[in-house]
Amino acid sequence: MAGLATFLVMIPSAILAYVLARHRFPGRRILSTMLSLPLVLPPTAVGYLLLQLLSIDSPVGQLLNALHVRILLTWRGAVLAAMVIAMPLVVRTASVAFQGVDPRLEAMDRTLGHTRFQTLRRVTIPLASRGLISAAILGFTRAVGEFGATVTLAGNIPGQTQTLASAIFSAQSAGQDTEAWVLLGFSLLVGIVAVYTSERLSDTERAHG
Amino acid sequence: MADPLHIDLRLALGDHILPVSFDTSAKVTGIYGPSGVGKSSLLRAIAGLQPASGSLRFGDQVWQDGQTALAPEHRHIGWVPQDALLFPHLDVRANLLAGRARATARGHDVQALLSRVTDLLEIGPLLNRSTADLSGGERQRVALGRALCSGPQLLLLDEATAALDSALKRRILQFLLRIRAEFDIPMIWVSHNPRELQALCDDLVVLGAKGVQAQGHPRILLADPNVLPDRSATDFESLLPGVVVHSDHQRCRLRLSKGDAEITVLPSGIPVHAEALVAIRARDVILATQDPGGVLSARNSLRAVVAQITPTATGNLVHLDLIDAQGPHLAAHLSVQAVEELDLGPGVSVRAIFKASACALVPR
Repeated sequence: MAGLATFLVMIPSAILAYVLARHRFPGRRILSTMLSLPLVLPPTAVGYLLLQLLSIDSPVGQLLNALHVRILLTWRGAVLAAMVIAMPLVVRTASVAFQGVDPRLEAMDRTLGHTRFQTLRRVTIPLASRGLISAAILGFTRAVGEFGATVTLAGNIPGQTQTLASAIFSAQSAGQDTEAWVLLGFSLLVGIVAVYTSERLSDTERAHG
Repeated sequence: MADPLHIDLRLALGDHILPVSFDTSAKVTGIYGPSGVGKSSLLRAIAGLQPASGSLRFGDQVWQDGQTALAPEHRHIGWVPQDALLFPHLDVRANLLAGRARATARGHDVQALLSRVTDLLEIGPLLNRSTADLSGGERQRVALGRALCSGPQLLLLDEATAALDSALKRRILQFLLRIRAEFDIPMIWVSHNPRELQALCDDLVVLGAKGVQAQGHPRILLADPNVLPDRSATDFESLLPGVVVHSDHQRCRLRLSKGDAEITVLPSGIPVHAEALVAIRARDVILATQDPGGVLSARNSLRAVVAQITPTATGNLVHLDLIDAQGPHLAAHLSVQAVEELDLGPGVSVRAIFKASACALVPR
């Protein structure tokens, strides 16, 4: 589920990050601020905001209802919550990665006969790849650990909307210490692997630069 | 004659607008001017990488008309910037082939082109190396090769030798001369170096703070104190083409093209039969109205006739026609008094005398 959320969030985040890194336009700062909000708001507040936005009384909620798409209290809700919470981190990391690509290298590739999009694929993304992978890893860990927004939006249904964080909470509340320990071990493992990989990537990047 | 390039652009340079307008159909057009005047910006605007307004045409193609600009990928140019800008995520071969799609689309056999370019630039042994391990000179050659392998119709070379030391510069100049001889691609070449400009260019555009200051033959312009007031005319060098006829560890002799005059220079390592240019600084040339015969230590004493005398900030530049070789002039920089005392004027016969050590050989 966290993997799906990461996958779904990467594409729009990468586009937003590229736009923020490469272009100056009116409202850029406002967009940047809006994107960072989920990072500073309490997750439950974000969850509540999404809940209100998607509730059956709201226009979005009615539209979804008409389409028979259920989000609240389903795995989709958990994915959506994870996406929204992970997005700021992903956008920021990816934006830094794009800023690290020399625009003159992109210009050089254009002169060799490539369109803007071909250059993006041939030069920009390969050169930003380390940072983009880093962004995905950070986004994934954020999604795995999501609690507040998920619980608010999707509840805490084992096997459906439960994240690692909410599962640990449930296990601990129910006094199932063994399960809580297993989940804790798993979190540690994911955390260590993610941070280590991300640091290694940024180290090699520095060595190359 | 190459396809004519018509430039009438207004370049936005930070705080001001630089108008640049000239037409050229030379095989190699040099752009000369003080640092920061906008030479690189001009090249970027020709490439379509920098916004500009005005008109820009190459042959019958319109690249810029008013605010409407053709995208860089449709201009089919080869851009070689000062710092090479090799792609760090690709090895040398992949860098060279980065523009292969365009080269194929323009009817080139990419593999044949690649082997021709790697032979010409002597970069065959580098093909599988990472760009991070290349020296400055190697990076420049790979950047040149990448541009050539993309099948361009115009090459834009931005001070490609500025970042290199003088020995490497001479090497790069040698490769540029080869490209000039082997490929039928016009070039726009930005340089600070009068010797390189004379050696490579047929047409020279001098850029100043207000736009194009002068345009003409490099040898004439570079000797003109009105065009280049910032440059002392005593630094002016004559460049004469020739062939090495003798080379050993003590000296090297060069026979000038179109004649039998020979010039002795210091040993250079350039092999016999190789073509070379000899650069002679105007301030190192002495003129005598009689043959000093065997009383002279200087190795070179050439028969010449004064063609023209032009004033400079610190004296006179005397342009000479060599009697035993046709072609470019040899120039001597003399004080005003020396010109008066020797009674020099057009048509006067003289001996042009200079030491072997005053000459620098540039391989072709």
